[in-house]
Amino acid sequence: MNALTNEEKKVLLLLLSSETGAASPEALASGDMVAVAIHRASLGLASRGFITIEESVKTTLRITNEGEELRSVIPERAVAEAIRATGGTSAYLDELAIDKRLSGIALGWLKKRQWAEMEKEGGRMRVTLTEPAIEALGRPSPLQDALERIATEVVMLEEVDASIVSDLKSRKAIEMRTERTRTLVLTDAARAVDPASIIIREEVTQLTPDLVRNGRWKDVQFKRFDVSVPVKPLYPGKKQPYLAFLDSLKAQFVALGFQEMRGPLIETEFWNFDALFQPQNHPARDWTDTYRLISPKQGRLPDDGTVEAVKRSHESSWKYVWDPEKARNLMPRAHGTCLSARQLHAGVSLPGKYFSIARCFRPDVLDRTHLIEFNQIEGIICDESLTFRNLLGVLKQFAEEIAGARQVRFYPDYYPFTEPSVQMSAKHPDLGWVEFGGAGIFRSELTRPLGVEEPVIAWGLGVDRLAMFKLGIDDIRYLFSDDITWLRREVMM
Amino acid sequence: MPTLEISCKDLSRLLGRTVTVEELDDLILYAKGEIDGVEGDTVKVDQKDTNRPDLWSTEGIARQLRGILSLETGLPDITIEESDVEIFVDPALADVRPYCVNAVVKGLDIDEAFLSQIIQLQEKVALTYGRKRREVAVGIIDYDRIVPPIYYRATGPEENAFVPLSFSEALTPSEILSLHPKGQEYRHLVEGHDVYPLLVDSEGTVLTMPPIINSEHTGKVTTETKNVFVDVTGYDIETLKTALNVIVSAFAERGATIYSVTVHYPGRKERVPDLTPRTFSVSKAYVQKTLGMALDDRDLVALLAKMRYDAFVDGDDIVVSYAPYRDDIMHENDVLEDLAIAYGYNSMVPDVPDLSTTGRLLPLTSRLLIARELMVGLGYQEIVTFTLSSSEMLFERMGVARPDDVVEIENPVSASWSVLRPALLPSLMAFLSKNTHNDYPQTVFEVSEAARIDESQETGVESAYRLAFAACSATATFTEARQALDAFMANCGIAFEVRGIEHPSFLEGRVGAIVVDGIERGIIGEIHPRVLEAWGLEHPVAAVELALERLLE
Repeated sequence: MNALTNEEKKVLLLLLSSETGAASPEALASGDMVAVAIHRASLGLASRGFITIEESVKTTLRITNEGEELRSVIPERAVAEAIRATGGTSAYLDELAIDKRLSGIALGWLKKRQWAEMEKEGGRMRVTLTEPAIEALGRPSPLQDALERIATEVVMLEEVDASIVSDLKSRKAIEMRTERTRTLVLTDAARAVDPASIIIREEVTQLTPDLVRNGRWKDVQFKRFDVSVPVKPLYPGKKQPYLAFLDSLKAQFVALGFQEMRGPLIETEFWNFDALFQPQNHPARDWTDTYRLISPKQGRLPDDGTVEAVKRSHESSWKYVWDPEKARNLMPRAHGTCLSARQLHAGVSLPGKYFSIARCFRPDVLDRTHLIEFNQIEGIICDESLTFRNLLGVLKQFAEEIAGARQVRFYPDYYPFTEPSVQMSAKHPDLGWVEFGGAGIFRSELTRPLGVEEPVIAWGLGVDRLAMFKLGIDDIRYLFSDDITWLRREVMM
Repeated sequence: MPTLEISCKDLSRLLGRTVTVEELDDLILYAKGEIDGVEGDTVKVDQKDTNRPDLWSTEGIARQLRGILSLETGLPDITIEESDVEIFVDPALADVRPYCVNAVVKGLDIDEAFLSQIIQLQEKVALTYGRKRREVAVGIIDYDRIVPPIYYRATGPEENAFVPLSFSEALTPSEILSLHPKGQEYRHLVEGHDVYPLLVDSEGTVLTMPPIINSEHTGKVTTETKNVFVDVTGYDIETLKTALNVIVSAFAERGATIYSVTVHYPGRKERVPDLTPRTFSVSKAYVQKTLGMALDDRDLVALLAKMRYDAFVDGDDIVVSYAPYRDDIMHENDVLEDLAIAYGYNSMVPDVPDLSTTGRLLPLTSRLLIARELMVGLGYQEIVTFTLSSSEMLFERMGVARPDDVVEIENPVSASWSVLRPALLPSLMAFLSKNTHNDYPQTVFEVSEAARIDESQETGVESAYRLAFAACSATATFTEARQALDAFMANCGIAFEVRGIEHPSFLEGRVGAIVVDGIERGIIGEIHPRVLEAWGLEHPVAAVELALERLLE
């Protein structure tokens, strides 16, 4: 009983005090409880088996403005009566004292009800009444009788003959109004309830500090909530899913003993190409499309002898005149390998492991499979002991630990800055064989001018495709999603 | 990276063994290729190695694969017969296009597949190896239509009219440059000189006008052609010889006989082509150490033979001989890679190096991580957008004039991605403008790099991390942004003040500079309704942008 809300209790008491144990919500409404509250309470009572809600539908008839006109004059009856007033049963329409508009409407109904026959005689309309018409005139009009009742009292649809309703409706004389009425009826169980057992206490929606402080919480009743009702969504602050993935990769590389590298977004061709042993004006430099800049145009080259060493390396191996001006040209970096070149130049520990996740730029149209900017995981390991099998081992380790791959395959490849070069595909449990990235041993023509004599193994892994899988997306543009709903829904675990 | 089309049937015939497309998928890797598409018998192959033009034809691929399949190993046997054909080079071409090298090839039996390879190889050699014909241009002439000796001579622009390939009327060299499609495409290679190069025979018949176009009469190879004259022109004679060797070796693969010719240059003469093998010495110890494998002498020699080297052990070294259609062997690793390929990358046991090192993030990365976590804690959704943007988004829509220090791309794919953004806030506005149909409030932030010209930097550009955040809702106000800023800065331990300023992107009286140690490091304010309109936004936006990297240093 005390699981009931105060509203429910009040309604129950009202019903118990009524003679029949049944009432409409409207009848129970008062200043104390408005109809909405009674409705809400009745649903609660019904769900707990205290009452049943009986619903009935009733349709009443209402007279319209057209109906009011019809109530005073039925057009065809007026014409028929005018003809009878001439003494006969037939007359020319134009000799009757009837309004022209009325007679126009009347003709249609005279014909429809078979009250008269019409014929033209020398341009005049002769109307001859039929037997049923004459009989009908002897009785009061049932239409007017019905309208009289509808106009003066509440008339239910079923109280009027259907053919009359249909006639009145077609003359737009009446409207129908359907009302749904509810009756709250106490169940047998509820009838047995002793009204004295229903105690109404103060009901509270919000537990306030005041209620706690002064102990009044003991005297009040807390309004029960329907805890299964959905609430308005709340969107937490979250990391961008792709960046969160890259964060986790960085943590993995650190765990494997790698130090992070960084370099500028805009590079000189020197670091993007020349320092990586890619000769100027040679197809080796065209292995990928690159952007050029309008402004600024040129940057500075290192002034510690590196430029001269790179120049000597290019000129002795590639047999051409190396141009420092070309090397000064600026471009958005096209790959992360320039970071490795910078790191070698800045100095490396032995053994040394370095990595970077670098934003790179290549001219591509943005579509489902291409981004205008992408991220590359770039890395090097330097040590006197390194072998080509070590490179394969490192690549396999990445594929297993980062991509969860079970199997890897290595393919010969070509990069101007590595020899031998290798490309790896990894078999992902769900994706199948996925191209994972390129790698190799840096050419000594590259490492020596940068001051490193020891072998350097290097790789650049395409991280975007891996991220697509991790995030379960088949459109690469979602990595840079501009859809807040997608970001909000993306599961972070 | 050249892309070739080859016929699987044709390759099988050259190999003397049937190769299916499925088999080729794996085999082609040994020839540095990767299948890019298959249409019936035609296979599209991406040839990755830009230094191996000898692999850019069905003939070259067949030669390599015969070694891999042990059908024929070691140096390929290409014999050269001597001919008494002479070519005379005009000294007047010294500044224009000084060198040509040539060969005569006889006994050709050309079918459609062979013909398409001749055309393709010639084209790829000139395009990729020859840098769009600048360094190497190749002409293949019907030898039966010319009478030696041949003259590589200078012609005036208005002399020696001839009918160029696929034309029906004779044109002068200068007319060819302006009227023929190839003339228009390659005119820049000869324009500006008083004379142009021309190859004519002893009777004055024009063979070709290098590096532009062959003659219709002599320079058209068909399935009827039996004997050809090969012409390769350019600047560096060693490069030209390699290109010539690539082409004649391909012909030799088809069973043709190669004849050398004598080319008379000013003051000297040379007999070409010369396929005498070159030698290179590789330290055995270096190979063992670099591969991390103990291969014995016999293995080394056999593996190299598969890659079409002749090799013998000479004390501590292996001496390899290779055919001079290759000029890519500069270092021991170039031979070593071939050895590794022959051994099979997948036959090697991967070996994770046991090196103890300490991993660490850059201090900046660690600080940026904390900054991002603070913004997440403040209830902001992180987003990531592109560095490339447009002047329209960055400046016009924000209601500001374009500054002078904008980094701009010369060859953008589209105007939408043509400048590097100097700030992140426009990217946030673009993001909000895409989400007007989604639930509000929307609070977003980004920590990314932005760039602007800074002559004091090594690369003329300062690229640094910034933070921008924006709150967009019916009730967004300056106060909301200020509260978030206060909380963020307090947790970063940065003292700052906000100094009222005027800025066209923001509402007057509701915008301030964020000043740290007397230096303006950012901006905070309510976005001006004019700017909201420009972005199609109906909800107010309160935003902050900070030069975060400078603050965290």
